[in-house]
Amino acid sequence: MTDTVQAGRRKFFDLARPSRQHLLGYILIAPAVLMVAAIIVWPLILAIDLSFQQVKIPRLGGASRPFSVSNYVWLFSSQEFWLACWVTLKLVIVVTAGSVGVGLSTALLVNNRFEGRTVARLGMALPWAVPEIIAVVIFAWMFDTSFGLFGWLAIKLGFADQMIPWVSSSTAAFWAVAITMVWKGFPFVSIMCLAGLQSIPSDYYAAAKVDGASSFQRFRWITMPLLMPVLGVTLVLTLLWVFRDFSIIKVLTGGGPLRSTQTLSIMTYDQAFQYHNFGRAAAVGVLTLVICIIASLLMLGRRSKSIY
Amino acid sequence: MNKRVKRLALGAATAAVMTMGGFAPAMADTVLKFISWQTDDAGTGEWWHSAIAEFEKQHPGVKIEFTKAERSSYADTMTTLFAANQPPQIVHLASFEFQMFADSGWLEPLDPWLKKDGIDMTGWAGQKTCEWNGETVCIMTNYFGFVMAYNKKILGEAGIAVPKTYDEFLAAAKATTKDLNGDGIIDQFGTGHETKGGPGQYLTEMLNYIIDAGAYWTDKEGNITIDTPEMVEGLTRWKTVMKSGVSPVDMSASDVRKLFADGKMAMRLDGPWLYGTTEKGSAKSDIVYVAPPLTPPLGGSSNVLAMPSDIPDDQKQLVWDFIKLTMTPEFQRSYATMGGNTPPSPKADVSGVEKTIPHFPVLLATMKAASEKGIDRVPTGLELYYNEFSKMIMEESQRMIIQDLDPAAVAKTMQAKAETIKG
Repeated sequence: MTDTVQAGRRKFFDLARPSRQHLLGYILIAPAVLMVAAIIVWPLILAIDLSFQQVKIPRLGGASRPFSVSNYVWLFSSQEFWLACWVTLKLVIVVTAGSVGVGLSTALLVNNRFEGRTVARLGMALPWAVPEIIAVVIFAWMFDTSFGLFGWLAIKLGFADQMIPWVSSSTAAFWAVAITMVWKGFPFVSIMCLAGLQSIPSDYYAAAKVDGASSFQRFRWITMPLLMPVLGVTLVLTLLWVFRDFSIIKVLTGGGPLRSTQTLSIMTYDQAFQYHNFGRAAAVGVLTLVICIIASLLMLGRRSKSIY
Repeated sequence: MNKRVKRLALGAATAAVMTMGGFAPAMADTVLKFISWQTDDAGTGEWWHSAIAEFEKQHPGVKIEFTKAERSSYADTMTTLFAANQPPQIVHLASFEFQMFADSGWLEPLDPWLKKDGIDMTGWAGQKTCEWNGETVCIMTNYFGFVMAYNKKILGEAGIAVPKTYDEFLAAAKATTKDLNGDGIIDQFGTGHETKGGPGQYLTEMLNYIIDAGAYWTDKEGNITIDTPEMVEGLTRWKTVMKSGVSPVDMSASDVRKLFADGKMAMRLDGPWLYGTTEKGSAKSDIVYVAPPLTPPLGGSSNVLAMPSDIPDDQKQLVWDFIKLTMTPEFQRSYATMGGNTPPSPKADVSGVEKTIPHFPVLLATMKAASEKGIDRVPTGLELYYNEFSKMIMEESQRMIIQDLDPAAVAKTMQAKAETIKG
């Protein structure tokens, strides 16, 4: 009897059996799943829970406040929230378009054979390698209103007769943030696109040339359709990066002036750490997550299947 | 074989003893965490280190772990530590940020501790700010008055006398703002204010002009008093100074101080901490400290010491011993001699400090003048909402400057928004 039970157990844990091989997979990914649950899912549940409580500063292990939707009521009726949504949308469009435009162009450029291509490729990837906070501090110096490089250049080149108030003008501040983000974001697009371009067989281009296709036609009908799978994923990742990026705006403008660069992530921070309204901050964070999920689904879901 | 075993046993025993010996002091030590933004401040940082050294000498086996957190992210750090139930035992906070922690019941009421040791706080500058819901929750570490530092070489070259009023100050600032090399970029400014950074500092900078015009955000009962002719005048002055180009824009306070210390600015209105920067600047020999032309001088509470309410009692006693040590007349004196600060204790002997810090009498005089007029940066009734309030004031002031709005209309908007914030 005991032998039968032991044999049964052995069979169950015999991971070499084809019918048990999936168990090995689960066992191997279990630590990673538990880790993800601990550092992503649990805080997410806490944030959702917090967003339904009227709480100023929460305390770990402290008693929960009664369920309330007041944070969401405040959020939807708040002009600040809709302004942050608008700024985020503008920034997402401008920075994503800018990063994809510059990134794709540079990828096409360094995909060609020319003298110094290796150096050009390294130079293209350099902004990606520079730590974000260091890059932003350098840009903050270059955009400095009193002694900045860009203002000095504008005067020297005759574009302006005095220094440009990059951080104290709503329009200039938005563009200062956008330019910095494009500079930091385009190498990722370049690297991804370059990988995609190198996977396109050169025979296609040779055949098109024989058929008399122009450069633009080869780009339009060969490069773009075959690059779309890579470009689609890159677009979503860039969009999500712009959505959640915090340090560039925080260091450069702090969300100002007049909230002209206050995105949803800056608003979340301000509500939590400036005004000590953690309940409201959690509500902004949860809504940002929902918007990101919807945007990703729209871009990667059925409707965008055609791009693949 | 036997010898080998013996050697091994001896080696193992030695290693065990050495290991245990190494651990022993660490196990016996009690460590008090103390986080501050002033760890390496010129003068003040040294004063904190001297207090820690003396405390550790008086309490063998007790160590204070003194860690720096940047001022710009200090409130975030402390909020996170308190929220995570991991506050430092010695709590050091700015006088405009302790209220939120006190309101959550996280700071120990200090009245019983003061009573137990028979400490009389009468005359302790700014101590009233530390009262929250009728209880003393902190000890005021620093109460200051603003002074004006000027560069005598720049004023002398422009043929300008040291200004005594707002109008003279503005005229002097305009006369000393210059593009020295003719490249179209201003190289020397008349004065300087922080306009980039925290709203709290922005408010402090503009408050110099507001107070001089006879205005303030609230009255003593906490009623909002922004929509007044005096406030309109104060806002007009701030707008004039910022629009006339006499101050660099989009600069942090530390950058402005550095600019002044290096001789690229004629005048700077600031607190006692400016001295630490000017002493290291290249224009050190040209800088003179005097009473500010804007009166009464801006001043008020700066930072406080407190203890968390939920640490063990034995740790509370140690923290209280440390706070008490910093309050002794000896350390209050060294707060002046070493830190160059105005000590809040009325018993502090500050005689002779002017030998090392020549402008110390000016610091004392402005502190007293500010204290007598009841000036503080934190408006009564808005303590809990200070960050939200200061951000609103900063944004409306920026709007006034960027969109060239009428200060009277801005004062009305500020009044309405402040009332909404107060609720």
